[in-house]
Amino acid sequence: MDVRPEPADAGSDIFDSSLNLEDAHFREGYADGHRHGVAAGTEEGRQVGLKTGFETGEELGFYRGCVGVWGSAIRADPTRYSARVQKSVRTMEALLDGYPTMEPEDERVQEMMGDLRLKFRAVCASLGAKLENRGYLKGVDNKDVEF
Amino acid sequence: MEHNIAEELYSESLRFSQLELSPSSAAHNDHQLPGNDETDLLDKDGLAWDDSDEVFGESSDLDREWQRRHDQFYTIGYRDGVIAGKEASAQEGFNIGFKQSVPIGYNWGLVKGATSAFACLPDELKERLVEDQGHRDKFQDLYKSVNSLSTPDALKLFSDEIMSDKTTQQSKAAEASGLTAGSQVQSLEPSRLGSYFAELRSLLIECPAIDVRLDMSP
Repeated sequence: MDVRPEPADAGSDIFDSSLNLEDAHFREGYADGHRHGVAAGTEEGRQVGLKTGFETGEELGFYRGCVGVWGSAIRADPTRYSARVQKSVRTMEALLDGYPTMEPEDERVQEMMGDLRLKFRAVCASLGAKLENRGYLKGVDNKDVEF
Repeated sequence: MEHNIAEELYSESLRFSQLELSPSSAAHNDHQLPGNDETDLLDKDGLAWDDSDEVFGESSDLDREWQRRHDQFYTIGYRDGVIAGKEASAQEGFNIGFKQSVPIGYNWGLVKGATSAFACLPDELKERLVEDQGHRDKFQDLYKSVNSLSTPDALKLFSDEIMSDKTTQQSKAAEASGLTAGSQVQSLEPSRLGSYFAELRSLLIECPAIDVRLDMSP
């Protein structure tokens, strides 16, 4: 941060003695600005968080829904699915179980989401399923939604 | 979003550069009564402007200079403070919004995922999992309704809902605990996105062979 307690020309005039006063003025402004900045920053961050949270939740929910149906289908007719597909579905399930959904700052989320996407695509390819997973896989989401 | 930031920063610096230009600006009235918010500050500035001629008309050059310098350093400090304040709070704000919307997006995604995966199963397997033709039709109908909505569409619906939901504004300061998130989902239940989820939930109760975990992992 760029804190400037005194201006460049401070040394050249009769107000030298007021340096500590200037510092007080700076701090007074800083305190007011900080208060307003915190309020504005919180609200702006919240807007971004609402959008990101919705998209993240949607993607996780989507995978959970798929995994639930696939798991049920495998139980109903195991012979229909290869061991590899069955394993991939189980891996997805474990990833979803361990995903820290409410912790956007958790460092693991990026890698876990990447693994989920890979497994999802692998299963879809093996099943020959043309799942319309619009929004994330195709990168359709370029519309900006303002809250 | 970026537009808002720019506007805000710009208007702030504009306001204070106007103050700087006026030698007899009486903004120093404020420093004895720290303003609580921006409107507060503005109002007092406005008042002070009106009678500044009378109050400060005879003030010495020294007073003027003192005021000028006060404003100058106040402004520099204010700008730095705004930037630091935003930096310090953006992540927290993000987390609040994120935790508020993630359960709603999750429920919406569940409906999309479960119905899409089911729709892609071979007919034989569909019949084995869901014996009743009516229930299979319900799955198909639900699949069609939710797939007509893209993620941006759903997000738009969600943002409209959240705008109309006034409790959202009040709860934004509250840390979004699991409890808060749950009550948010409930308050949005009658919404369109929520009704799809309710439909899936009741359908799954009638089709026990399909086991979809409905609750979110922590």
